[in-house]
Amino acid sequence: MLLEQLQIADFRNLHAVNVRPSPHATVVVGANGQGKTSLLEAVYFLCTLRPLRANRLSELVRFGTEQATVAGRFTLGGAEREISVQVAAGLRQAFVDGKKAAKLEDYFGGVSVVAFTPDDLAVVKGGPEVRRAFLDRAVFNRFPAYLREHRAYQRALKSRNRLLKEHAPASYVEAYDEAVARTGARVLVRRRELLDELGPRAVSAVRAISQLPDVGVGYTALHLGAHHPQTEEGLEQALLHALVERLDRDRDRGFTSVGPHADDLQLTLGGRSARAYASQGQGRALVLGWKIAEIENVRAAFGRPPLLLLDDVSSELDPERNAFLMHTVAESRAQVLLTTTDASLVARAAGPDTLWLRVEAGEISEDARLRPARTA
Amino acid sequence: MTPDPLNRLVAQLSKLPGIGEKTAQRLAFHILRAPDDYATELVAALQEVKSKVRLCTRCFSLTEGQLCGFCTDPRRDDRVLCVVEGIADLMALEKTREFKGRYHVLHGVLSPLEGIGPEQLRIQELLVRLEDGKVEEVIVATNPDVEGEATALYLMRLLKPMGIRVTRLAQGLPMGGDLEFADQATLARALSGRREL
Repeated sequence: MLLEQLQIADFRNLHAVNVRPSPHATVVVGANGQGKTSLLEAVYFLCTLRPLRANRLSELVRFGTEQATVAGRFTLGGAEREISVQVAAGLRQAFVDGKKAAKLEDYFGGVSVVAFTPDDLAVVKGGPEVRRAFLDRAVFNRFPAYLREHRAYQRALKSRNRLLKEHAPASYVEAYDEAVARTGARVLVRRRELLDELGPRAVSAVRAISQLPDVGVGYTALHLGAHHPQTEEGLEQALLHALVERLDRDRDRGFTSVGPHADDLQLTLGGRSARAYASQGQGRALVLGWKIAEIENVRAAFGRPPLLLLDDVSSELDPERNAFLMHTVAESRAQVLLTTTDASLVARAAGPDTLWLRVEAGEISEDARLRPARTA
Repeated sequence: MTPDPLNRLVAQLSKLPGIGEKTAQRLAFHILRAPDDYATELVAALQEVKSKVRLCTRCFSLTEGQLCGFCTDPRRDDRVLCVVEGIADLMALEKTREFKGRYHVLHGVLSPLEGIGPEQLRIQELLVRLEDGKVEEVIVATNPDVEGEATALYLMRLLKPMGIRVTRLAQGLPMGGDLEFADQATLARALSGRREL
């Protein structure tokens, strides 16, 4: 998969962009607030149809304009395809080769992307919702069907919560208990499949970049008990049982207290919760290891590396870890978009075919002078 | 400026689902150019559909009289009843010519997010229908989405205690369809529900 050309119109603070990214590294250099991250967000949105940062779709449209467009020409399995997405009036519309994409699967055929932003570095110390979103992004990259499955769960959950708030009769709530259990079991199975693949890779990646004590990657399914079953059917039964058991409590509170929406990704160091005990540096090493594992995992599953988006991560990592990340990126031969305030930080990921872009006040221009002397 | 009557027709036509302003205009011009009879017949057909077609008092599909053709046909099997969301689903099933039982149209699904509860659907009427004990099996043919599934489960819980066999349409790959055209969720489900050969 290769992003051959990228066109952006009125997305965030970007007015009009038309670039041909390098097959390897493309480096975007600019001071803060100029539009570096907007460029990465545009690519992420193009590849996933979801905003990279939690914000409303309408916020993606450049201030004072009506419609944002991101279009990319990709080479996928030897064929050239153009996919694009428009946002207008708070709605998004996806196109494949100029035609409206009827199904999301048409759209996602073969596009995978792994993003790494400074926000990710806060995952270890943040709340469970941050870790769930972090985990779900990885699941989605690996299993595109997860987008629909996750939506189905959200819908079932919202429906049940509405019934709880409206004090609906038990027979009605029970019907949605089963819907929540069924769709929830699917979400749990997907998350576990991903963790089974990714966990060991993440552990060894962290070991390679740090001297951290035994790293653990696990999953806490809230209120399902320590020995809940592992099959999808078993999980569905366990969820259903917990939902029924907690119905009175849930009714009092007006929301559902058990299910994948309440679970947590468990990261441990030497058997202790990384959230409580890890230092900031240790936490970052954990996330870095996870992201490297994600790249390797997508490559192992699809036979090709994902498109990488690294948003100014280098300035947040210490020089040694940054060097490791840059080395991994260069080794992976993946197509990568990096943003930075300081070109020298990402020099090791750059090569002779690197495209150097300067971003200033929402305008992007090619600028080979950005290339640090030692890679020239 | 186009004449007002034409504008009014275009406005009315463009309210139809799937009809945009442009198509509405084309349809309006077509009607305008067609022989006078056509417009007269169209008007008559429109009025008739509103005045004569109503819901069957038993199964709530469409009929001209009290009961519909599906309910009055003596060749149909009284022991099997198929519950569908809407009339379009009934028509799709009927096209297969495979189903010889009776129907019951719910006119929607349970959807808390849209404020549709059991009392907005024809569920009470279904229960009344089943009281005579003639029906042995109810096939729940609601859509396989969240609301359709929840509605099926709701019905199952109501009907099972009445000693009625409740079944659900199978899910999986479309017949004669290529694997490559199946969407991923369907494919994933078909894969997890695979069978020994």
